[in-house]
Amino acid sequence: MSHKRILSALTRRGFLAAASTLIGSGLLPGIATRVHAADKVIRIGFLAPLTGPVAAWGKPGLDGCQIWAEGINAAGGITIDGESHTVEFVGYDNEYDPAKARTGATKLIREDEVKFIMMLGGDTWPGVQPVADRTGMLFSTLLPSDLSPETTTLIAPAEVHPIYNVTGVEWLAENKPDLKTAVMCAQDDALGLPSVATYLAAFEAAGIEMQSEPLLFDPATTDFAPVVTKLISGNPDIVCLDTCYSDYVHPICEQLFQQGYKGQIISCTADFYDQIIEKTSKEFMEGMIFQFPDFDDPALNAEGINFKDPNKFFEVYNERHPGEWGAVSWEYASIMDLWKAGAEKAGSVEPDAVLAAMKDGGTGLHAFGEAKWWGKDLFGIDNALVGNWPVVVIEDGKAVIKAMKSIPDWYDKHGELLKKHMTAYNQMWNQRG
Amino acid sequence: MIELLAQTGLNALYAASYISLVAVGLVLIFGVMGVINFAHGELFMVGAYTVVALYADLQMPFLVAITFGLIFVGLLGLVMERSMFRPLRDNPLGGLVASIGFLMILQALASIGFGVRMEHIPPVTQEVIVFSEKVRLPLPRLFVMVAAVVLLGALWYFLRRTRFGWALRASAQDPEAAALQGISINQTARIAMFIGAGLAGVAGALTAPLVSVNPHMGHSVIVTAFIVIIVGGVGSLEGAVLASVVYAFVHTVVTTFWDGVIADIVGLSLMLLVLIVKPTGLFGTAERA
Amino acid sequence: MLKALFWIALAAALIALPHALSFSQQEILVFLTINVLLVASYRLLTLTGEWSLAHVVIMGVGAYASAFYTKEFGVFVPVSMLLGAVTAALVAMVLSYPLFRMKGFYFLIGSFAAGEIIRLLWKRFRDPFGGPKGLKGIEPMPDFSIGIYDFDFFEPVSYYYFAATVVAVCLWLMWRIERSPVGLTFHAVHWQDKLAQAAGVNVQAYRTLAFVIASGFAGLAGALMAHYIGTINPNSFDVEVMVFVLTWAIVGGTATFYGPILGCVVLTILNEIVLREMGFEQMRPLIYGAILILSILFLPNGLESLVERALKPFRRTPASGTPAGDAPPASPASDTP
Repeated sequence: MSHKRILSALTRRGFLAAASTLIGSGLLPGIATRVHAADKVIRIGFLAPLTGPVAAWGKPGLDGCQIWAEGINAAGGITIDGESHTVEFVGYDNEYDPAKARTGATKLIREDEVKFIMMLGGDTWPGVQPVADRTGMLFSTLLPSDLSPETTTLIAPAEVHPIYNVTGVEWLAENKPDLKTAVMCAQDDALGLPSVATYLAAFEAAGIEMQSEPLLFDPATTDFAPVVTKLISGNPDIVCLDTCYSDYVHPICEQLFQQGYKGQIISCTADFYDQIIEKTSKEFMEGMIFQFPDFDDPALNAEGINFKDPNKFFEVYNERHPGEWGAVSWEYASIMDLWKAGAEKAGSVEPDAVLAAMKDGGTGLHAFGEAKWWGKDLFGIDNALVGNWPVVVIEDGKAVIKAMKSIPDWYDKHGELLKKHMTAYNQMWNQRG
Repeated sequence: MIELLAQTGLNALYAASYISLVAVGLVLIFGVMGVINFAHGELFMVGAYTVVALYADLQMPFLVAITFGLIFVGLLGLVMERSMFRPLRDNPLGGLVASIGFLMILQALASIGFGVRMEHIPPVTQEVIVFSEKVRLPLPRLFVMVAAVVLLGALWYFLRRTRFGWALRASAQDPEAAALQGISINQTARIAMFIGAGLAGVAGALTAPLVSVNPHMGHSVIVTAFIVIIVGGVGSLEGAVLASVVYAFVHTVVTTFWDGVIADIVGLSLMLLVLIVKPTGLFGTAERA
Repeated sequence: MLKALFWIALAAALIALPHALSFSQQEILVFLTINVLLVASYRLLTLTGEWSLAHVVIMGVGAYASAFYTKEFGVFVPVSMLLGAVTAALVAMVLSYPLFRMKGFYFLIGSFAAGEIIRLLWKRFRDPFGGPKGLKGIEPMPDFSIGIYDFDFFEPVSYYYFAATVVAVCLWLMWRIERSPVGLTFHAVHWQDKLAQAAGVNVQAYRTLAFVIASGFAGLAGALMAHYIGTINPNSFDVEVMVFVLTWAIVGGTATFYGPILGCVVLTILNEIVLREMGFEQMRPLIYGAILILSILFLPNGLESLVERALKPFRRTPASGTPAGDAPPASPASDTP
């Protein structure tokens, strides 16, 4: 642990200091809203869990959005029809509860007059859907499994969870063809199950055999020793951690290490992987495959990557929120890039105009490159922006983008497999609800 | 198969160790004060965060952090006793609600002070005792087991062999009679609360490097502890320990041979079954309800 | 006369109320109205002296059942809501056999376990319960017109009028039940357990009856909720929600009929409107928790005791709404040493 971290920890952890910052940051936006409300401000709603057990999927995203907004506003804001506008985010804590999400959506649309609302989605989306239907408001979700033919104003433009997981498995099969057997565990919830189906399809497509049924555990699990004991009892070549939250990935990796596992690990996320390395060893984690790059990766400066100045964003984020960088930190901000482009192209901030401009031509500029509006087969509607997705591998203690792989290409070859497994787990759009 | 069973047994012993520390504290508080401390899981959480603050951030020795966790959370227990449970002594439901309020405050303080994300605690040691290729016991886990045995042994000695312990047991059985004997209710309540809270805190501190520390980690702990104290018999400390072992073995074995969700259902069903067949718990003796 | 005027004024105020609110406050008002039914039914259950931690799950049974009947059999929504309530009552009846072998603290924890098992079953069986994601796209109330007013049940105001009417009828029914010989027996079962038994009252039967009736009303509250939000999932009915119901009841006070309702209204306004408006996001649970503790310390008999004190000079009869009004608050552990 570096000296700097201790110092920052010392100050960060003073409860009084933290509390006063919080009151400050909590009150100021509210006041600011009223002062600036006069003219030329575009307000964007942020409707996600900010407190409670799911807050880790919302709060860091709002932090990322604030950084994004500062950058854009400093550079002249968003230009609509020749006039520049500043952007402002209005947050509402839905506590991951559908009823509160509905109330929040109503408030954001009818009282704060936002032009676009970003959500985590999941449990909260169905509560908001009637509001979306009535008002025509444009919403975004991180979970494309919220999409269905009825959700015409809902887009999934950043995460196409869990479909991108196929790219990691495909890369694994190409580069380590001698690994033939796999096991999998996942928490039994709305994120875990579609991901299980996706990995099963990807393994089958790659000719990798599952040693046993995926092991589901309750989201309240704290001790993972029994789970790991069971997983590695048949000496698998590959352990797949599915879309486990970092609260599970860390202790599971640690247990794998302590119980003597030496094979390949593949996972959807590995947030704070440096901490996992500290808990295990560099050698143990070498070669772990996952899907979320650090944004200081030089590969993200390549031609065709649409996230604006990823290295700078990563730097500012880490400065302000040390030790908080994770998958959701950048995703909401990347949705804003897309929305901004759509609004500027449409010359309007009205939801229908922006949506039309975004989807114009059937392609869009996803953070990781140009992508197709896609999803008819799986979701019943082409509202997910799907293209390339990075395969990230830990090399010498650092996450490195090893490849950008095309999701649609995989789907063209193996789509039927994915549909088969999704159906088995009741995850097709026409099976849900 | 033998290896799998042996490893499962080690896993279960570890689980039994920390569960019994939490459950015994809960039973002690309920026994002496007659109040259900809903914030008990959050006391566990605070214990874990003392390790985050002292060991991970300030780099003090792990043993110091654990000791501090025990004392700090014990003191927190005294605060709860003095400010909430004592004024509400004749109002057990009031005590319950107050402990819910306390739980929300502790969770919020943890989120505000440390962030909503899980904390990182560097491993104390990576030593593993290797019995065979598939049977391994990491040293930190052994440490939790040893600490649990030592602490519970000390508690047993305290309750059975000292005057304070005798007073504590007396007022747990019959507060009025104990008062007539000249035992101060406030005194015994303080001791019970300090020990009960301290045990939860030390359990949180001991396991902090092995679990994901976040502001909401107390929830699953309290649910487990409830199950255990029901199975063991609400008034019985020995029962709580034995029930922790039973529950840990059942849950671990079911997780290993079926899956984790089924293990939860089995655990709850076990508790309901005990409640129906023998409401005083498997090891409870006196009729207390 | 004065009484009639009071009720007319109250009705007029409740009809006018939503028009004085902002849109999001109207939404909160709908949920508040439904929660009033929930917490009032919870009080009915506690009349016999038992405190359940399964009440919110029972509400969920009503919600799941009603959603299921409309989806699978195309039952007309209002009818389905009633069927949902009946289902909740039936499930409660089944649960009462094991649960009422226990009392006090054991009942509290036993009901918690029973509720958790039901919730885990919803999670585990994706067909028909939808697993962890629950059910969505639940049939809304069909819109209709009564000439002077067009009911559009997407609009919170419309749904508020509908829900408030249903809740008012339910509250009236509960009031009548409590004042009936049956209700008086509930009180007797609580305060004079042994005596009632000696007098030939089947204590267990009355406990069960209170539990079943209360569960029916809770189920109806769940159904009202489900058909408004359009989605339900197991987490909507977890123990944290139950904790809120418990705190509403206790902070309000359970000696009078209106106590828990008062607690629900005051705490909801505080948490959902006041604290949010003041810009406290992460501090919200902290302040809410502090207020819980302070109110239980300094108002041990609940908010209702304030009202009772204020009303005392105007009353000729003893000040409480129920025969048990002056008794100390009920406690699950009161019979434990």
